[in-house]
Amino acid sequence: MSLFSWLRPASPVVSADLQQRLAKLPALAELSECSLREQRWVVLDLETTGLNMSKDRVLSIGAVVIEDGAIDFSQQFERTLQCRELKLSPSVLIHGLGPTAIAAGSDPAEALLELLEFIGDSPVLAFHAPFDQHMLGRAVKEHLGHKLQHVFLDVADIAPFLCPQAQIREAGLDEWIEWFRLEVFERHNASADALATAELALILFSRARAQQIYSPLQLQQRLSQWKRRQQAPSF
Amino acid sequence: MVMSKADAFTQAGKTAVLQNIQGTLQFLQRFPPFNQMEHAHLAYLVEQCQLRFFAQGESIIKPADGPVEHFYIVKQGRVVGERQHITKPGTETTFEITTGECFPLAALLGERATRTEHLAGEDTFCLQLNKLAFIKLFALSSAFRDFALRGVSSLLDQVNQQVQQKAVETLGTQYSLNTRLGELAMRHPVTCSADTPLREAVKLMHEQQVGSIVAVDEHKAPLGIFTLRDLRHVVAEGVGDFSDAIEQHMTRSPFHLSPDHSAFDAAIAMTERHIAHVCLVKDQRLCGVVSERDLFSLQRVDLVHLARTIRSAQRIEQLVTLRGEIGQLVERMLAHGASSTQITHIITLLNDHTVCRVIELTLAEKGDPGVPFSWLCFGSEGRREQTLHTDQDNGILFDARDAAHAAEIRGKLLPIAQQINQSLAQCGFTLCKGNIMAGNPELCLSRAEWARRFAAFIREATPENLLGSSIYFDLRVVWGDEQGCEQLRRGILDQVADNRLFQRMLAENALRNRPPVGRFREFVLARKNGEKATLDLKIQGLTPFVDGARLLALANGIDANNTLERFRQLVDKQVIEPLDGAAYEEAYHFIQQTRMQQHQLQTRENQPYSNRVDPDSLNHLDRRILRESLRQAQRLQSSLTLRYQL
Repeated sequence: MSLFSWLRPASPVVSADLQQRLAKLPALAELSECSLREQRWVVLDLETTGLNMSKDRVLSIGAVVIEDGAIDFSQQFERTLQCRELKLSPSVLIHGLGPTAIAAGSDPAEALLELLEFIGDSPVLAFHAPFDQHMLGRAVKEHLGHKLQHVFLDVADIAPFLCPQAQIREAGLDEWIEWFRLEVFERHNASADALATAELALILFSRARAQQIYSPLQLQQRLSQWKRRQQAPSF
Repeated sequence: MVMSKADAFTQAGKTAVLQNIQGTLQFLQRFPPFNQMEHAHLAYLVEQCQLRFFAQGESIIKPADGPVEHFYIVKQGRVVGERQHITKPGTETTFEITTGECFPLAALLGERATRTEHLAGEDTFCLQLNKLAFIKLFALSSAFRDFALRGVSSLLDQVNQQVQQKAVETLGTQYSLNTRLGELAMRHPVTCSADTPLREAVKLMHEQQVGSIVAVDEHKAPLGIFTLRDLRHVVAEGVGDFSDAIEQHMTRSPFHLSPDHSAFDAAIAMTERHIAHVCLVKDQRLCGVVSERDLFSLQRVDLVHLARTIRSAQRIEQLVTLRGEIGQLVERMLAHGASSTQITHIITLLNDHTVCRVIELTLAEKGDPGVPFSWLCFGSEGRREQTLHTDQDNGILFDARDAAHAAEIRGKLLPIAQQINQSLAQCGFTLCKGNIMAGNPELCLSRAEWARRFAAFIREATPENLLGSSIYFDLRVVWGDEQGCEQLRRGILDQVADNRLFQRMLAENALRNRPPVGRFREFVLARKNGEKATLDLKIQGLTPFVDGARLLALANGIDANNTLERFRQLVDKQVIEPLDGAAYEEAYHFIQQTRMQQHQLQTRENQPYSNRVDPDSLNHLDRRILRESLRQAQRLQSSLTLRYQL
């Protein structure tokens, strides 16, 4: 045993049943050249105990599916994760998850595996995706000993990339909702935010097609070119 | 109130269940028919939905797509219908669908392709339900089915409730013209036996402070009524002896209604019969008396008084003054929540009284020509669908031995008829621009001449004749003997029933005025000469129903003239489905009501009277129902297309 092994969190004990299900998860593919409409997408939003990427934890997960170019209401994912050592903090009033709700939540390992099964091999869309990718990756590692390998695309990047005329860099979800005059339902939780993000994504896909971007792969490539240009120092 | 922190946290936690389904449910519940559907059915709908985005100008469904596979509800944005012009290049916008509304019901139910391309008028999100789920929902939810089939009717129920609510608020009581008479006659009727001396009877009336006493038999069946008016006669004529039995002075077999009739029924009976009291009889026993005062003290709508004043006017000038009072009466009745049907009925009654009085006064002035004749009316007057603003459409019918005799009579009658036309014009009945008036020699005809003329209409279907039939075939007698007119009508019905070609031509004619369904926003956008674009409630809204009902009535031997009455009899004869009949009736009713409110508004604001309405001036629900009502007109027209294979 390594001297420092005690410093690392212990690998979780994953039941045989969960192991079997983990093994059955589909292999992940790179983004393909199919059309944007043919691609199944999962749009995700997380509620966490805070914004600290290394300390805070995932409290709840909301996800909706874009399939055949439309948000499919029959495929929805919504789980609150059970979390024993959670302290009451004012952020509860923002994410709206009370201690009772969290105590009554699902077993995190089970819920996370269900999420992975729900996502399948689809690419994931999220607003500020790197945050969700990191937090979810940590949780999956911690509870399932599994490495999250899905492709994440950030709607907060796609929006200014496809709509430069909006002139609202660093804008939040609310600003984009307002820019597109989206009439969204009350959103105080992960599912509603995921739905709003998905609606935004539908508009953006339509804008993408208007700019000769037809496949998920093209979108990813053009997006990263754009990001490099954005980050390049301007003289 | 301060919520403890833990409570606030618990509260917050409760809202987390299936938020997106919940949110969509709540959204849909703002709109009919979804607000009337059972929660479980609505939840099923939402769970089966897809949410789809259409950028401005994008096609949603089009005729080339084949049979429609989805049902759509607009969540946000605007969908417009574009139809290819048949005769020229380009397209026209035929309708517009906005938030909370759905499409394409007709194509979906008919399992066919849409006839109109549906495009996103702006960036639009639609909830999309597949056909299987639609069919299942159609079977599950009666509210949904009802809406899909009838559309307008389920909405109208809501408006009617609102109107009644408003009437109750204005009146501050439950009383309206629809109140049961049983509720109005709160006092026990004052009665006596038929042999009671007059003196005794009057004493009784005085003691009880009532205006009438009813003589009854031993089973309480009414034998006669004696009122203060009768007492005036007895005193004025000075012939009576107050020890006479009441039966010598009472009105025998008094008119009666059941306690279940409405205040409106009593008002109409009083106006028609010039009476001030109506006995209420149940199981042949007298159970109450309703007086003019009972009815109208509630509303100060003195209809009966007005009718009586018209009938006893001594000069044309008096009638002219009384016209103004009819306007005020209508205003008050509308304010009291009377329906358009009730109001057109009352206007027709009062107009009939005015016409009769004008004829009587003219005859008195010019001297009786010594030839019996009947005064006919056509068009809306003939259908008893007049509003305050009507043209004259009238004629004269008389009996003659032969052509020479007819010409001779005509010579006598024409000067009188022309005088009547002028007097009516003074009373506010605008002279007919097309000269469809009794003073016109071509409209002052013997029965044989009318019959020949009508037969020619049916035999030779020229455009003028078709137009003529749409005016003249709604004929009715206002003054004089009704028998001749009755025979003419039977003749028309027999000939039309036998003439399938004429029916077809009438059907084509009934399709002339297409309801402008859904072009509302476009109207506002398309301003002509700085004026707001509007739609004509009469020509584009009512005429399709009137024409359709006339055709079906004539073709099926129904002798009623009134459009709503025609629909009712068509349902009775199983020519049209009861649900369709009800939907047409309600739609017609709503358009007429909107038209009248519009007229009242114009009068109040001293604007010229017009049938044109700017849909944007209506509230959201009214606008939507108007559109649904126009859609019913469209349905009626397409059923004619089918029936006559046009």
